[in-house]
Amino acid sequence: MRNPQPDSPVLSIGGRLPAAGPGAPITRLFESLRPDLLRFAHWLARDRALAEDIVQESLLRAWRYRDALKDPAAARPWLLTIVRREHARMYERKRLELVPLEDIAETYADPKAADTEDDLFALRHGIMRLPLEYREPLVLQVLGGFSTEEIAQELKLSSTAVLTRLFRARNKLRVLCGMAGVPDAAAPEAAP
Amino acid sequence: MNCEQARLLIGADPRSGAAELAAHLGECPACARLRDEMLAFETRIERALQQPPDLSRVRARRPVAPWREWALAASVLLGTAALLGVWLLRPSDTLAHDLVTHVQHEPDSWLAAQQVNAQGIGNALHGAGVALDLTSDKITYAQSCWFHGHYVPHLVVQTAQGPATVLILRHEQVPGARSFHEAGLNGVIVPAEAGRGSIAVLAHGAGVEALAREMQQDVRWLPEPP
Repeated sequence: MRNPQPDSPVLSIGGRLPAAGPGAPITRLFESLRPDLLRFAHWLARDRALAEDIVQESLLRAWRYRDALKDPAAARPWLLTIVRREHARMYERKRLELVPLEDIAETYADPKAADTEDDLFALRHGIMRLPLEYREPLVLQVLGGFSTEEIAQELKLSSTAVLTRLFRARNKLRVLCGMAGVPDAAAPEAAP
Repeated sequence: MNCEQARLLIGADPRSGAAELAAHLGECPACARLRDEMLAFETRIERALQQPPDLSRVRARRPVAPWREWALAASVLLGTAALLGVWLLRPSDTLAHDLVTHVQHEPDSWLAAQQVNAQGIGNALHGAGVALDLTSDKITYAQSCWFHGHYVPHLVVQTAQGPATVLILRHEQVPGARSFHEAGLNGVIVPAEAGRGSIAVLAHGAGVEALAREMQQDVRWLPEPP
């Protein structure tokens, strides 16, 4: 959201939460997590500007429901969940395809290259190219630190289905990076 | 846990500390190797995820590989060849179909039994800039029809095999004779000997080729009417 709501108590110029007032500690906590949230949203949305909008909306939502956060130590997964849901809502609303994947496909570094910056560059774009159904659980797991069960709960899938998606996500990345794919041990996805 | 289950878990969560997996890895060197490989790969994934890609770099890095230039040239060539092929094939396929459709829309033309007089034939021909050295006693139908944007003579000629429709197509060029069969009609389109245009002959029976050859010699082009 680029234009703050007039009655919003939380946005100041630059889209930051206020650093003073009764909610200051939680504000500081949220702000400290903003880079993580932005990175996470960026991987989901594949667009920096859209990711910023998602994070902004998410922080607004989190602020409104801040009383639901009983344990500040759980703030990160709580906020990541809000970001994921906000992304899902935006995805549903706009159905946007924001990254020119053809461009990405053409920019792969030599898959046999060593673990250089180019190699990471190629891997990053490989992750970006993953369909959301594979990218989302992978980012939740690796970046968000969610367990298989937590991802299953969040995505409303069975644990087996989550394992299958994670397996296939990594397998696709292996192949994209020039490695041999692991024989698909994953069973067809079960219903949640 | 068997190897299949272990592979699924290793692929889905390389850092899994599940006791069952650990037990299996202790007994299965192949799965243990896969686990080591996946852990190394996982480190790369974790590093990659720390920073989303800079898409501005994507555009800056786009080199045009030499093979892409060749591929582009080849695709242009193929596209041109395909268009040429379509253009060459067009008269035979779509023209034949349109001719059949046109004839089907004038079923009465087959029923006419009386000869058309010279004036009637002249009216049908002259409006299209066509003259015909054919004895008029064979022609039982003569109209000037709107076809593909021009008036064309539409004749029915009585032959030994029955009536045959002749359409004289001054504006339709064909590279050579082509026969077709559609909707119970036998047809042929031949280039006119006058050097341009074509002649189409359609009939329910045989003999369309012979009539077309005869018509090739009989058709003359007059100055095109304004």
